[in-house]
Amino acid sequence: MAAVKETIDAVAELERYKYGFTSDVEQEFAPKGLNADIVRFISEKKGEPEWMLEWRLAAYERWQAMEEPTWAAVKYAPVDYQDLFYYAAPKKKEGPKSLDEVDPELLAVYEKLGIPLKEQEVLAGVEGAPRVAVDAVFDSVSVVTTFKEELAKAGVIFMPISEALREYPDLVRQYLGSVVPVSDNYFAALNSAVFSDGSFVYIPPGVRCPMELSTYFRINASQTGQFERTLIIADKGSYVSYLEGCTAPMRDENQLHAAVVEIVALDDAEVKYSTVQNWYPGDAEGRGGIYNFVTKRADCRGDRSKVSWTQVETGSAVTWKYPSCILKGEESSGEFYSIAITNGHQQADTGTKMIHLGRNSKSRIIAKAVSAGKSDSTYRGLVSVHPKATGVRNFTQCDSLLIGKDCGSHTIPYIEARNGSAQLEHEATTTRLSDDQLFYAQQRGLSEEEAVALLVNGFVRDVLQELPMEFAVEAQKLVAISLEGSVG
Amino acid sequence: MLSISNLHVSVGDKPILKGLTLDVPAGEVHAVMGPNGAGKSTLGYALSGRPGYEATEGSVEWNGADLLDLDPAERAAKGVFLSFQYPIEIPGVPALTFVRTALNAQRRARGEEEVSAPEFLKLVKAASKALKMDFDMLKRPLNVGFSGGEKKRMEILQMALLEPSLLILDETDSGLDIDALRIVADGVNALRSPERSMLVITHYQRLLDYIKPDRVHVLAAGRIVASGGPELALQLEAEGYDKYLPAAA
Amino acid sequence: MSALFDIDLADASTFPSRRTEAWKYSDLKRYLREAPQPSPTAAIGAPGPFYDLGGEAIVFANGRAVGVTDFIASGDQTLRLRYISDAVGTGHSAGARVAARAGARLLLLETHEGAGSAYVAHNTLELDVAAGAEVTRIVLVEEPEDALSIAQAQVKVEAGGVFRQTVIATGARLQRVETRVDHHARGAHVQADGLYLLNGARQADLTSVVRHLDRDGTTSQLIKGVARDAARGVFQGKIVVERGADGTDARMGHHALIASERAEIDAKPELIIYADDVQCAHGNTVGALDESALFYMQQRGVPADEARALLTQAFLIEVVDRIEHEGAREVVREWLTARL
Repeated sequence: MAAVKETIDAVAELERYKYGFTSDVEQEFAPKGLNADIVRFISEKKGEPEWMLEWRLAAYERWQAMEEPTWAAVKYAPVDYQDLFYYAAPKKKEGPKSLDEVDPELLAVYEKLGIPLKEQEVLAGVEGAPRVAVDAVFDSVSVVTTFKEELAKAGVIFMPISEALREYPDLVRQYLGSVVPVSDNYFAALNSAVFSDGSFVYIPPGVRCPMELSTYFRINASQTGQFERTLIIADKGSYVSYLEGCTAPMRDENQLHAAVVEIVALDDAEVKYSTVQNWYPGDAEGRGGIYNFVTKRADCRGDRSKVSWTQVETGSAVTWKYPSCILKGEESSGEFYSIAITNGHQQADTGTKMIHLGRNSKSRIIAKAVSAGKSDSTYRGLVSVHPKATGVRNFTQCDSLLIGKDCGSHTIPYIEARNGSAQLEHEATTTRLSDDQLFYAQQRGLSEEEAVALLVNGFVRDVLQELPMEFAVEAQKLVAISLEGSVG
Repeated sequence: MLSISNLHVSVGDKPILKGLTLDVPAGEVHAVMGPNGAGKSTLGYALSGRPGYEATEGSVEWNGADLLDLDPAERAAKGVFLSFQYPIEIPGVPALTFVRTALNAQRRARGEEEVSAPEFLKLVKAASKALKMDFDMLKRPLNVGFSGGEKKRMEILQMALLEPSLLILDETDSGLDIDALRIVADGVNALRSPERSMLVITHYQRLLDYIKPDRVHVLAAGRIVASGGPELALQLEAEGYDKYLPAAA
Repeated sequence: MSALFDIDLADASTFPSRRTEAWKYSDLKRYLREAPQPSPTAAIGAPGPFYDLGGEAIVFANGRAVGVTDFIASGDQTLRLRYISDAVGTGHSAGARVAARAGARLLLLETHEGAGSAYVAHNTLELDVAAGAEVTRIVLVEEPEDALSIAQAQVKVEAGGVFRQTVIATGARLQRVETRVDHHARGAHVQADGLYLLNGARQADLTSVVRHLDRDGTTSQLIKGVARDAARGVFQGKIVVERGADGTDARMGHHALIASERAEIDAKPELIIYADDVQCAHGNTVGALDESALFYMQQRGVPADEARALLTQAFLIEVVDRIEHEGAREVVREWLTARL
């Protein structure tokens, strides 16, 4: 009987995290562990210019001198940085790839994930359906990027960063590390030393990117860290909407994901960056799951530039992530819309920093946290106003919802105003899911889980609305799935 | 006599009033009517000196004084009173304290003696009774939690106590039901006198049934585009502002 | 020195710097690298601002107790707790212990009266509020602009007890008024208010940690502050609801005016929640005086400076209005009005 029960539980678990499958893709690895030779190995694999190798080695040196941060409200078993693979790539033929050359096994993975990689399939879809160009990153490398040619016609560069380092070295060199310096923090330094791929985006002046750009990250290999690097440059007066999705197989071990995203917005440029983060969160006992230690930052260096971060964080065992805006340009504007849902033993310490340096710069923060199970969620945010930044405005709203007796929810905002003309407003609330509302919905015929999903979706609605349509639908389902089993 | 000549006013970089000319002789009530966005509220703010409403050209004279040179409090001491379309709430400052502070500040500015506390209370009690206001309301912070009608009555009460010589009523009828409107209008009419000038800014003719104007002006796209007697207001009510829009554009 | 308080003026290694998260905005180490020389004895001059309200008194002069240091209240009592400093360039510490017996009502009128200059004062208070007791603590802090001053209080509230506090700070080179309050048993009520009014280059830091350790407690906190010139106001408020402290209702508000281009406000209002049946909220605003209110007043003839002073007073007085004890409230109102 016990065995039957076990099987049922295992199946139930799979149902909950439907991206938990592993794929049998033939892969090659760099030797385990981290040293200068591994850094050289990665750089050589990528055929990088000499300056890039030096940049990486310098980052590696800085990283060695740094200590892992401990200030976040998260607890996790220490990462053994020597017991990880820093490079894992599907074996493939060399040379430029078309979709036909991609390992069919890989295509099957993305099909299973519901990510359209075949342009004709996307095109064959419903008339007028939004089209999305996808860069698919599998463990350490990008396997395919779609719609490259059509984007090139508009002057938009969208390609794996490893390719951009070869094709547009000057552009990459000018901006790489200019927003998140190599020594910014422990994980950013690590990423700078060993990042293996990620996306590169350049939107030329005055161009409105003709479609949504998207990168889909997949960790597949065991005992492997994923260190991707994304660099987005929006030149004067341009616009781009960028989506990021991520999943990983269910494994008992903890896997490290330490990404860096840099955005540069010049005068009048606008970047909308949306993330649906659904890394494997670990099992019901807190075994396994991804350590998601990510540095995301936008440099709004242009006047009237605007960057908007929207994130739906439902996955990962531990999340440490503060997508931020440095508002240097006059009248520049930063936005942060966040939904963080934790269940089981998940821990999330996430929020944003809005650094107001430019006159009349504005920012807006809406953060919604839902904690259930034995999870712990922290909003940590900074709004700071430089002495020379006159006319600054900020509005912040942080709401937390608690489901159950064993979870925690924390709000830790830092507000630093050094200019007399600043107007900063911050509101926060923490409440439990209302019994009255639950009962009301149930009385009208919803099951308890449906009622929870409905109420939670209502709670996070303000943020869901900020997502591009096709993402919003996915996110809404994700909210419901993440909270399954949280009541009862 | 109020004399506005070729007045240009910008808010930020945006020109709102573009060469407005208007005279209101002593003792007369003039109405300024116009469509939304014509610059009606801007006119009230410009006359009273609200920061951010910058006169870039032209002049405003009131009884021989150049108003544009004065700060808002100095204009108030010269008798300029703007009845706000949306009176401001001031938490923590009881209405009584506020009015008394204002009255005495104006008196000091004019070199007059301040009003003593008992004398002031007597004045307020009489004025609030005439406006059918609950005296206890005046102990509450100014306008905080007041209904739309109460706020407007509070404006009229201040008018009665401060005894201004130039009254500018900005959309005084907005948010008022018919009874409140009558009380407010009675309050204003009680202040009509040969020394006082009034400028009634309104979108609708309704208010002018209660406060009868001597002259009516049409403000469109930042300028006075037509003037006439009270019949002009009725005509506007019947025909709307459409015919002034292309002419003004 | 009580183990409850972690700073010892005789030991420089205990001085916190901004590297310590709780002292992020008040870097004591920056101003005080070495242990100060002990202060000499002081003379007691004026009777203190609350003299007219009578009652018993605990008095410290440059850290030396003049009489008792402990007090136990029963019935209805008033206690004036005076920390007097008139040292020049030296340091002193003082610690008082006060308790209110079950059912007692205590009005605790605490003053930090500073003369002299550049002294370092570390004053502590342990306060126990027994079941059903009610303690109202008013703290007036007025010190020289070059003083360093740290006042720390540890308050324990038992079942159904009520603790109300209002701190009024005017800043110093560094002035920190820190209060730690525990809802030690169920059904307690805590009010932890305060205001700061800062001129010149003064700094004031109002820090509080209110922990709900048991159920059905309520906490209400209203802090308001004004920073003029090159002054700096700091508010750190933390409300912790521990596991099992269900039925907690906690509200925190901090609202600050920056009245000058060079002034600074730093705020960190934290909610740390481990129970689900709670209602917690905080609000924080930082800004200048309301321009439309300022214009409205000027339109009615009030000159700009007078309008500003009136609006500032109206802004701060809300905290004073929340003091329930009438006598204390009126003393504070006058004290504050005189300093506006």
